[in-house]
Amino acid sequence: MTSNEWLNELSKIEEKFEEAIKNEDVAVEEIEDLFVGRKGLLSLLLKKLGEVAVEDRKILGKKGNELKERILSYVKSRKDSFSGFKSYSFDIDITLPPKSLNNSTEHPLTITLNRIIDSFQKLGFSIEWGPLIEEDYYNFEALNFKQDHPARDMQDTFYLDLVDDKGKNYILRTHTSPVQIRSMLKYKPPLRIISPGKVFRSEAIDATHSFVFNQIEGFYVDKNVSMADLKWTLESFIKDLFGNKAMIRFSPSYFPFVEPGAQVEVSCVFCGGRDKNCRVCHGKGWIEMLGAGIIHPNVLKNCNYDPYLFSGFAFGAGIERFTMLLFGIDDLRLLYENDLRILRQIY
Amino acid sequence: MKVLYSWLCDWLDEKPDFDTILNNLVKLGFSIDEINYTGSDTEGVVTAKVLKKERHPNADRLSVCEVSDGSEVYRVVCGAKNVDAGQIVPFAKVGARLGREVLKKVKIRGVESNGMICSAKEIGVGDDCDGIMVLDERTPIGIDVKEIFKPDYVFEVEITPNLGYCLSHYALSRELSIFFGYKLKEIKPFSFDRINGNYNFNIEIKTGNCLRYAGIIIKGIENKKTPLYISQRLKKIGLNPKNNLLVDVSNYVMFDIGQPTHCFDLSNIDDSIIVRMAEKGEKIKALDLNEYELSDEVMVIADNKKPLAVAGVIGGYYSSINDNTRDILIEIANFNPSSVRKASKILNVKTDSSYRFERGVDINLVDFAAYRMIELIKSLNPSSDILYYGDVKNFTVERRAIDVDVERIKSIIGMEIDKKKVDEILERMDRDYDGKKFNVPSYRMDIENLWDIAEEVAKFNGYDNISSRTTMPVERVREDKYHILKGRILNRLKVFGFNEVINYDLVSEKEIVKSGFSIDNAIKLINPLSKEYEYLRPSMLMSLLKNLRYNINRGVKSIKLVEFGSIFRKENAKPYENRRLSGLLGGMIDESEWWMEKEREIDFFYTKTSLNYMLSDFNEIKFGDKADERHIIKDLSINIYLANKRAGYFGLLNPDLLDSFDVKLKNVFYFDIDLDLLISSFKIEFHSLIKKPVPLSPFQYGVRDLSFIVDKKYSYDEIYRSFNKVEDLFEARLIDVYEGEKIETGKRSLTFRFIFSSMKKTFTDEELNSKIENIVKDLNKTFGAKLR
Repeated sequence: MTSNEWLNELSKIEEKFEEAIKNEDVAVEEIEDLFVGRKGLLSLLLKKLGEVAVEDRKILGKKGNELKERILSYVKSRKDSFSGFKSYSFDIDITLPPKSLNNSTEHPLTITLNRIIDSFQKLGFSIEWGPLIEEDYYNFEALNFKQDHPARDMQDTFYLDLVDDKGKNYILRTHTSPVQIRSMLKYKPPLRIISPGKVFRSEAIDATHSFVFNQIEGFYVDKNVSMADLKWTLESFIKDLFGNKAMIRFSPSYFPFVEPGAQVEVSCVFCGGRDKNCRVCHGKGWIEMLGAGIIHPNVLKNCNYDPYLFSGFAFGAGIERFTMLLFGIDDLRLLYENDLRILRQIY
Repeated sequence: MKVLYSWLCDWLDEKPDFDTILNNLVKLGFSIDEINYTGSDTEGVVTAKVLKKERHPNADRLSVCEVSDGSEVYRVVCGAKNVDAGQIVPFAKVGARLGREVLKKVKIRGVESNGMICSAKEIGVGDDCDGIMVLDERTPIGIDVKEIFKPDYVFEVEITPNLGYCLSHYALSRELSIFFGYKLKEIKPFSFDRINGNYNFNIEIKTGNCLRYAGIIIKGIENKKTPLYISQRLKKIGLNPKNNLLVDVSNYVMFDIGQPTHCFDLSNIDDSIIVRMAEKGEKIKALDLNEYELSDEVMVIADNKKPLAVAGVIGGYYSSINDNTRDILIEIANFNPSSVRKASKILNVKTDSSYRFERGVDINLVDFAAYRMIELIKSLNPSSDILYYGDVKNFTVERRAIDVDVERIKSIIGMEIDKKKVDEILERMDRDYDGKKFNVPSYRMDIENLWDIAEEVAKFNGYDNISSRTTMPVERVREDKYHILKGRILNRLKVFGFNEVINYDLVSEKEIVKSGFSIDNAIKLINPLSKEYEYLRPSMLMSLLKNLRYNINRGVKSIKLVEFGSIFRKENAKPYENRRLSGLLGGMIDESEWWMEKEREIDFFYTKTSLNYMLSDFNEIKFGDKADERHIIKDLSINIYLANKRAGYFGLLNPDLLDSFDVKLKNVFYFDIDLDLLISSFKIEFHSLIKKPVPLSPFQYGVRDLSFIVDKKYSYDEIYRSFNKVEDLFEARLIDVYEGEKIETGKRSLTFRFIFSSMKKTFTDEELNSKIENIVKDLNKTFGAKLR
């Protein structure tokens, strides 16, 4: 083969290459094979360099290799860029149902309580727990329920067949308020505590009553604690739970361990007070939610706090009531039936 | 207490409209319930007299009556059986309105009826529609029935135990007048001028529990018919008037001004009244016809011979007013609240009288009640004589005075309040108030200190006006172990689809015994609501079994329950209370079958897996030996230890227990863990809750599987622990257990996957082979294991 023939071949290959790359549809592997593969046109031509005149080999070789480099770099750039996947197919009915897992749930009372705890923790309240079996002293006497006073009838008490050190029968606590006494005896002021838990009243079970239910107690003792602090705290809490539109309203009420005492109503967030037949507020626009007040000086004295130096507020509420409102449950009994068909819906 | 609007207004100079009264009462903290309109809702219905009654010519059950309204006589057809000549009745003329209906002239069985004789229901004054309403014979005829049944409201006021001073119409009016400025009518005390001559009678108080005893003797009472307005009012507030003046007037005065009184038939009293404590075993037949055995904690009103009444609680039967009574002794007394309460509890008798005495009755009300009683009885019996008035006082007048510290009041309420405003309300309550010292009125036994005064000021200022603001400083919150741990455990159980339940803490004796727990150690309620809820649960097992049964019976297939609760028992005659974490697993792993998988039942190792994961916050938790619990099958049970303390157990429940609870399932697993113990060793600090990752080797793992046959007497645990000493062993994972035909009985084949790892190099085949050879050698030496 003469040098010219060789060059001719080379330029034909180059033309062919130019032609080939015009069409992007041609697979890069095909081009690679055709030109620079083991039996590619250019590879074969380069092998024929030995047939041309010795003095031309260097120049021709250089030209040939230049083209080879060009082709290789073309191939590389095509290979590096994305050029689509092959398609695969399956014959499957993808509408077949997925596995339904058991809904794992916390009890609605726990969900509610956890939210309430969160709300008060944001306001600096820490949790304390108290025993369910209580002594008359903590449940009544220290809380300013005087012996033989009708205030004791406000909470129908279960008595136990065991006697405490003062010779009185142990009782099931009727409210979470004994934790006020236990905490004040344990810590020095200032004190900011919430205490949730079960309480017991000797009341027949119906849609809104139960002999076991849950309460949350809260109290704050410091210097100069007033009803304004109480109102602010409860307002913050209620807005946290029911949204910014929720409002609270105080009216006078009586609990032996607070003075002044207040009943706290929350504006009906369900109808906004606009629905005469509202299932929740019955058109009143307000729902009774909490009892509250300024801690009675006798209670502070019973805990060795000087009522002229320290003051405090306290409040209490039933957790079931919040739960029923939040979950739209009408019958308290449902919360203790533990019907998994119901519980598994609440997640 | 039921309250009548018109009765309240009787005590006020003006007549505020009903809604204003209600709103004001609510502002003072009274809860109001059950508001009912009373009074006739009619137009043109008048009182009339039935002159004549004849049988209807064409109907046996009807009658034709002539009715007169004083100016005209009407012929009407009447269907009521109880109609009769001489009666005064409500009569609706043609054109009259009864509620929404307008009466038309009609012909009934051929006889024209020019109106209608009405029932109580038809004129809207009661529910009685059985026959016509017969009015009092003294009722004048021809007047609109609305004159008799005036529009009025009756409502229920909830009176909290501190508001004993509000238990009458006068008292509520007094509160309204103090806080809202209405003018209160003056209440008059009794004056002694009315007493004629000397009468030999003696009153003696022999106990400190009687603070005051006034007795009034009136003789010659002939007219004992209760005035219509009194019986109507009593009826409206829910009492049952006896139509005996002496009984009804006593009740009327109590609801009018709040002082309980009692009338005795004088002929049954032996010339004296002695107030004393009863003797033990003394008996009295009371007005409710029950005979009560008294104790020395019960105070009685007695004469020389016998007890006449239980003081403040209930009158005696033999000295009670009867139809022939002409001469009476009126008792107007004041008793110590707690002593009346005790007596009422001991006898288990609650009356309107005991209710008021328990809450405290103003000692000065005696004078006013005497005036009202005498006024009412005398006005109806002008010829009767008051022969005796005795008033024995067994108390010292002591008016509590409180220094008014306006600054402190403001700091309690938390708002700026003008001293003038404070003075204004206190002046209204205490005429002698000088701006510094507040003299507590005798009826306000509840006011003891400045805080009580602050409440009155807050009420006067309006609870609505209390501002909402705070100067509470920020405060560091202590993290609570129980709260956090509960959250973490529930979170871990979510992986397995558990549902949290909450149960009552009270169970029945039967449930405790059936579950294999000792009833002797169980804590019992002295006053249970029912046998079903008589004991505090000594375990959560019975509660959970009931949940299980409830759900199984309703077709639930997969049950995994967890409860955080307390259990109770007696320990050395003291209560022991322990928080537990218990749960039940039974049925299928998944509630719904799925087309891709075979259903799987919950088994022992599923239970073990979930508990293992649940407790993975605790490094010291160990599953140990088999558990000895009556209700558990020992061979399928495990004790759980925390450090070296037993923290609980889990295992298969005995099928007999399931049977006795009517649970239609065979395999139910129960776990019970001491939550208090977990909490005590729970490290709550965030850093200690973090699981720090172990660095990984950059070199390849070396993996070898090994199957060997070993005697079954060696537990997996023992064998596994023997690998502890193998060097560079990253993990030894049991991947197969085989027992059966291909293997000698008493033996089993275990297949382990050994994974070796080093931080320094990749192991060569030779190195791995030699490691495995050593393991095989050791297994053979220690357990007699042979390669399979």
